[in-house]
Amino acid sequence: MTYSVQFGDLWPSIRVSLLSEQKYGALVNNFAASDHVSAKLEQLNAKDFVNEAISHWDPEAESDHSVAPSTACSPNLRCFTFARGDVSRFPPARLGSLGVLDYYLMDAASLLPVLALGLHPGDTVLDLCAAPGGKTLALLQTLCCRNLAANDLSTSRTGRLRKVLQSYVPQGIRERNQIRVTSWDGRKWGELEGDTYDRVLVDVPCTTDRHSLHEEENNIFQRSRKKERQMLPMLQLQLLAAGLLATKPGGHVVYSTCSLSHLQNEYVVQGTIELLANQYSIKVQVEDLSHFRKLFMDTFCFFQSCQVGELVLPNLIANFGPMYFCKMRRLT
Amino acid sequence: MQNNQVLGLHHHIPLTWVRLAKLTPHLGEQKRTTASLLRKLTTASNGGGFEELPLVGPKKCVQQLQCQANLVYCLPEKQGTSVDGEPRRLEKVVCSLLDMGFSDAHINELLSIQPGPSPQQLLDLISEFILLGVNPEPVYVALKQSPQLLNLPVVQVKKRSSYLRKLGLGEGKLKRVLHSCPEIFTMRQRDVDEVVQVLKEKCLFTVQQVTEILHRCPNVLREDPSELEYKFQYGYFRMGIKHVDVVRTEFFKYSLTKIKQRHVYLERLGRYQTPDKKGQTQIANPLLKDILRISEAEFLAKTACSSAEEFVVFKKLLALEEEELESSMSEEEEEEEDEDEEEDEDEDKDEEQL
Repeated sequence: MTYSVQFGDLWPSIRVSLLSEQKYGALVNNFAASDHVSAKLEQLNAKDFVNEAISHWDPEAESDHSVAPSTACSPNLRCFTFARGDVSRFPPARLGSLGVLDYYLMDAASLLPVLALGLHPGDTVLDLCAAPGGKTLALLQTLCCRNLAANDLSTSRTGRLRKVLQSYVPQGIRERNQIRVTSWDGRKWGELEGDTYDRVLVDVPCTTDRHSLHEEENNIFQRSRKKERQMLPMLQLQLLAAGLLATKPGGHVVYSTCSLSHLQNEYVVQGTIELLANQYSIKVQVEDLSHFRKLFMDTFCFFQSCQVGELVLPNLIANFGPMYFCKMRRLT
Repeated sequence: MQNNQVLGLHHHIPLTWVRLAKLTPHLGEQKRTTASLLRKLTTASNGGGFEELPLVGPKKCVQQLQCQANLVYCLPEKQGTSVDGEPRRLEKVVCSLLDMGFSDAHINELLSIQPGPSPQQLLDLISEFILLGVNPEPVYVALKQSPQLLNLPVVQVKKRSSYLRKLGLGEGKLKRVLHSCPEIFTMRQRDVDEVVQVLKEKCLFTVQQVTEILHRCPNVLREDPSELEYKFQYGYFRMGIKHVDVVRTEFFKYSLTKIKQRHVYLERLGRYQTPDKKGQTQIANPLLKDILRISEAEFLAKTACSSAEEFVVFKKLLALEEEELESSMSEEEEEEEDEDEEEDEDEDKDEEQL
């Protein structure tokens, strides 16, 4: 990887974090009987970082008064993490009285794209590359989805997605929410369901840098997979384009990856916006998330120099990420 | 009475002992010692330096004699059955020790250690150390620190001494070892052999290198031989350190934990690379002295260029990793990697419960 060029002096810190055990967050399952869960997690010395961020927001300090965090962030999400420098691990989740697990362990940074998407009650939501299902579950946890379409190209992966939903969402609610799971080609969504959704999440396949650094075999960075790697930004662009086409005019899209590479991040966003303008005459505007970033600065390490979007950098003290996300609004 | 005579003699250094021997009959046993001293004295007067003589100066003589007198009268417990023979033997021992260069205070202390050997035994023991080239002061310190040495059978000490000489640890090289690792005399021959064997036959150090290692890093004697071998292998294979440098940098002095912490940290930061088969790296590795021989603060500032906070967390994570490695090795489990996981950014741990 040539990230030393992209990140300079920051790279050694990032590298050592990628090669060391990552940190997890416990996403509370709102569908379980969960009051005691928060207490249990607090007893372990973990804190709900979402709540911390929102409650510490100082309206006086913000120059931009128009956006309150309550509207900026998707609601009802509770995710516990251990403090900076604390390497404790969460015990595995337990089955509650309703037959579902009490929390879902995930990279806490993965919650940020869902928070940033800013769901409102009654939204129709599309998760274009949904598997294995962490972010899909988070979307459901907001309790805002009128219906949720979850898709992933691979059938084995959608199998996992279904299992996650079964483990966390009681059957009744699953039916009520009209959750639809499909295994189609995400790139076709513009034709399949154009102009349909209020909120779209495009969490694309990427080089999964954290795992790639560990794996010797079949590593995406090895020479034999060079073509695949070079094709990746193209695939990502096509998926984001499809996601935007599937959004209602006025609707919002969040694009996210777990890669550090600006070729997979900013370049894709900028390329897609250009493509939509040129080929479809559709105007898309990037939404500034610097305000959002400030909310979560205490929990995550953010890269300060993204051209568009935000990037969570892994750091030993807060070993979350990498997670890149960018919010867009389809104007026309 | 005695004292006056001594004081009167203070201008005549070389003849003090001789005079005394004549004037004080109960120091008769001194004659033998005195004779040998005389021989030394005559050689001195023929051109040899006074430095060879164990005698120091007039004042010292007075002190020595006074102290000697005190010693003789203050140590009744040291007396065995024969009341007549013992004081003389004790005096002889004291004198010999003085000859060797021990101070009165030290001699006093050494003789007072309880439980202790007989004076003769003490002398024999100390003589072995002196003959191995260790100076009186370090011998005193070592014995004071590790009184268990005093109770070793002299035969064992002689045997061990000759073995150590064979290993090249005579001529004063033993001082450091004796100080930090007195067990080198008390441990079983078999155990010393094992350590030497590991260094020579498993790690393939030369004989001179083994001597140097024992001399500079005597702690190796305390280590489990297989752990010692593992430490070497870590340095040689994992870090690419050659034999010469393992010796030169006193690599064995550092605990494996410290070595791993600092090395793995640098490696993961991208600041250290294991040399390839040709011994080459793409980056210039930091010098070993800048990795191990410096304080943690300096290491972080100068070599790792990282913060203390991050290093603290890293050490905790590394400890957890080592624990898990050990427990998984002992259970002989193999972790299977789910292929799908390569594309996942979320860790789906709860799947295991289904």
